[in-house]
Amino acid sequence: MSSTTAMSTVTVRKLTVRHRRTAVLDAVDLDFAPGVHGLLGPNGAGKTSLIRVLATVAAPSGGQVELFGSEVGAKSGHRSRAAVRRRLGYLPQEFGYYPGFTVREFVAYVAWLKEMDAAAVPAAVELAVARVGLADRIDARVKTLSGGMVRRVGIAQAIVNDPDLLLLDEPTAGLDPEQRVEFRALIRELGSTSTVIVSTHLVEDVAAACTDVTLIEAGRIAYRGTTQELTALGGEDTGADGPDGNPIERGYTAALRAHRAAVARR
Amino acid sequence: MRGGDGMTHWHVGGELAERYAAGSVAETDAWSLEKHVETCGGCAARVSAAVRARQEAVVLLDGVRAGVLAAVAAGEAPESGPVRSNQVRFLASATGAVLNGRVRLPGSATRAGRLLWAAGPALRGAWLLALVLVAVGALALAYGAGLGAATRPLLLVIAPVLPLAGVVVSYGRHTDPLHEITAATPSGGLRLLLTRTAAVLGVSIPALTLAGAALPASAAGPGPAAWLLPGLAMTLAALALGSYVGCRTGASSVAVAWAAAVLLPAFATSPLEIGKPAAEAAKYFAGPAAQGGWAAGALVCAALLAARRRSFDHLETL
Repeated sequence: MSSTTAMSTVTVRKLTVRHRRTAVLDAVDLDFAPGVHGLLGPNGAGKTSLIRVLATVAAPSGGQVELFGSEVGAKSGHRSRAAVRRRLGYLPQEFGYYPGFTVREFVAYVAWLKEMDAAAVPAAVELAVARVGLADRIDARVKTLSGGMVRRVGIAQAIVNDPDLLLLDEPTAGLDPEQRVEFRALIRELGSTSTVIVSTHLVEDVAAACTDVTLIEAGRIAYRGTTQELTALGGEDTGADGPDGNPIERGYTAALRAHRAAVARR
Repeated sequence: MRGGDGMTHWHVGGELAERYAAGSVAETDAWSLEKHVETCGGCAARVSAAVRARQEAVVLLDGVRAGVLAAVAAGEAPESGPVRSNQVRFLASATGAVLNGRVRLPGSATRAGRLLWAAGPALRGAWLLALVLVAVGALALAYGAGLGAATRPLLLVIAPVLPLAGVVVSYGRHTDPLHEITAATPSGGLRLLLTRTAAVLGVSIPALTLAGAALPASAAGPGPAAWLLPGLAMTLAALALGSYVGCRTGASSVAVAWAAAVLLPAFATSPLEIGKPAAEAAKYFAGPAAQGGWAAGALVCAALLAARRRSFDHLETL
């Protein structure tokens, strides 16, 4: 296990999260190394719970969570957790903002919360905002922006500290098709140096941007593999999309059915 | 410096910045430098100083920046997609870095200024309005409604509750819209809570004490500053209690306890006489013994809060 922790940014062992008495995540084992990882699954499968535990926002009910080699679970120390949090970027599924803030102030405020070097903040804020394509709106009030633009401000605050681990929960929600294409290019670029984990229910996001896929169903890992392997599960590419969707959508359905059949046999 | 692999290891020297400003650097070196200043504030400042020393460059860059902004505002560029965003990104960051020296940005203010700015969101509109209403309302009661000297005890009794309300509306999952994001940052715990509490006290203490001082004084009644120690003790008690049960529950428990302590004994003796409960309760403030008690309470709560300081960055349990 020491060899895997040396390679991986994220190591999760027997992670269990309970919501009241229901197990939202059930003894999950996962490793993530630098690259772009897709987290797929039906709504309510436990994707958001996993992202929130990895973001050090929610406490696991059981198991170990190691980020950059330090434990961040309930028993972890303040110092090591603060050190981990400085290297995190997190886009929650839902977030608010202060009504008076401009885009620049919002992103700079998060940079301050992440304890970035004050001298580096102005340039880092401009770069992050430019990377999400909002350079022309940097001094606009956040409340005047459209839903898709607010989403992009959320991505800008997540990447402002150049995070080593970037957690994005449904990042493409509210983005139009052209913005999605630009966003996927951005996360591929970020994934060349950091570990990017993208939770989504859109199979095409994964196909276009992720090197591998983790399929979660009802709190368990249903499938892990590269994007190509999942596509191959969908069978021959007939060129046109059939009634069951394109190959990766068929692969997704096939993997999900195989997992459900395996669970039913148990 | 060729190769550009040492982004984190080398920095732009004064001589290189001079040559870059003069336009006499080899193209590849210029590109490395431009890439570097996108992420290094120190070098960006050095290069911008060198460029600003040459007036013609400033004029040129102002022109470029104005041109880019005008083009974007006019909506000319969107058709060229990714190319546009790359160009805009480069020009925006390059001109931004050069202009940093002149245009002060929020993040580059002094340390004290940044702290104040960080606390800013603490002072929420609804709470500020409540604060003003209480202060103005007290003056109106005293001089408009003819309550006179009976108003000050009333204000003193209400004053300690206002900072509690201010803390509740500025921090925590229920009231801070940014909480999900702040919870994942290193300063999202006690540091942020204390910054915001300080901002709340910094506004409410002068406002309420000045309002109290402007009220007509009664001969034996407590002075306008008599609520300060009780207010501080109650705020610290709310935070200490909040370290166990969350700030919202902590602060409302303290406020309810205070209301009970003020209202119950007063109503038991003489019901329905306005100003009477407050006058009774003002005894809690009167004299060195009472004030000493509040001071001791504040110290105990502060010690408890210090011992529990890590509980605020603990993870949320579902």
